Amino acid sequence: MSASPITRDRLISIGFFLLLGLGWEFGVRWSGVQSYLLPPPSAILAELWQSRAPILAQSLVTLTEVFWGFIIAVALGVPIAALIFFSRTAKRTVYPLFVALQSIPKIGLAPLIVVWFGYGLTSKLIMAFLFAFFPIIISTLGGLASTPAHLEEHFRALRASPMQSFWRLRVPAALPSILDGCKVAMPLAVIGAVVGEFVGSNDGLGNLILTASGSGHTKLTFAALIAVTLMSLILFYSVAYWERFIWWRAA
Amino acid sequence: MSAVISMASVGKTFGDLRVLGDVSAEIGAAEFVSVLGPSGCGKSTLLRLIAGLTSFEDGSICFNGAEVTTPAPEMGFVFQTSNLLPWLTVRDNLLLGVDLDAAMQRPSDAAFAELVETLGLTGFEASHPHQLSGGMRHRVAIGQALARNPQVLLMDEPFGALDALTRDRLNMELLRIWQRDRKTVVLVTHSISEAVLLSDRVLVMSERPGTIVEDVRIDLPRPRDPSVTREDPAFGDYVVRLSKLMGVS
Repeated sequence: MSASPITRDRLISIGFFLLLGLGWEFGVRWSGVQSYLLPPPSAILAELWQSRAPILAQSLVTLTEVFWGFIIAVALGVPIAALIFFSRTAKRTVYPLFVALQSIPKIGLAPLIVVWFGYGLTSKLIMAFLFAFFPIIISTLGGLASTPAHLEEHFRALRASPMQSFWRLRVPAALPSILDGCKVAMPLAVIGAVVGEFVGSNDGLGNLILTASGSGHTKLTFAALIAVTLMSLILFYSVAYWERFIWWRAA
Repeated sequence: MSAVISMASVGKTFGDLRVLGDVSAEIGAAEFVSVLGPSGCGKSTLLRLIAGLTSFEDGSICFNGAEVTTPAPEMGFVFQTSNLLPWLTVRDNLLLGVDLDAAMQRPSDAAFAELVETLGLTGFEASHPHQLSGGMRHRVAIGQALARNPQVLLMDEPFGALDALTRDRLNMELLRIWQRDRKTVVLVTHSISEAVLLSDRVLVMSERPGTIVEDVRIDLPRPRDPSVTREDPAFGDYVVRLSKLMGVS
């Protein structure tokens, strides 16, 4: 049988992960490890199906926190980065402030934020925001600085106003870099929200992971982890999707 | 004939580096003038001074009798790199210069179609720059300058990065456009044969700090085509003379 190299590579990958899953499944069964320590994959998948209603409900809670945290990080991060880029004063004040804030371990900030903003949506939204914000600032700054000098001169020769140069040259030239920043920031926002839920919440996937593992319900812990991972992947690819509309890289 | 561009004792220094010495020249209406010189002689800088893109210390440059301080709408600049915006189509790149100037109006559909045809870009209006060959990108760049209908076209080694064949072809197209529109053209180049083939006058510049060492009038019949380079003995004489001036031969 002659398969194309691509099909062959795929088969190798699939075979490898199947083997890994089977190794896990039968390793756990034959070694007699207690299922509250490490359940077999079949039990985890069964749990995922059985508990689909609560997992979906908690996923929606976490998704809401991540979504708004990320959106606000982009909505504030991009204009603030533009301000830092164009204003010497902002570069000397706002920028070092953000660098300093970024240096604080945000996990350490979580208890304070829960104290200030309560157990509800707001505190988790802020955690997601804090995790996502800095990569967006940095990538926007990098993108704005990457406008080729020869294109700037070209716009000057065409007598473009500063506003025209900004909107018609700098912003489009920065978009690929901003999108890269968003791709980094999206999974970070998920981590931020889950950390926030760990520290103080009544719901969300982070809360589910914490309560399930606390009560020895390891299968549910794994199932919730799979849900978080899937959510993170889907969110990442829904950001990466926009690359097809921003395909250029400033030469 | 009154000068469109007149330079009087122009000098330019970058830090400690004297780039242009003492440049004086006049360029008349509808003249095709090449500035020829060795690498680093300041010829590109001179063109940027004429365009109002770079400030300078000594002397003065006048365009239509007024001192040049900032880029004028009547001047079109074609850069060494084609400088197209990768996210715009050929059509939008061609019209960019017009769109950026509130005082300018987009050409009529017929005029635009004619421009596209002149440039040999028909059928590529909706393409993006990365889908074009290097020669086509340069034609778009020239078209962008022409769409503004400038009185003067300033060109900084516009075909320098292209292969010889493409370069010859674009030079002929440039010549054809010039013979039709009779704009004033100032072309910076380091190709002697290109300068002779295209120009009415060739200004030869010295090594840095650049000055104009010779103003050579090219009295070859027009319209010209590449056969001139092979068949007209006067062409060879000009090339030899300019080579000597540049210290090549």
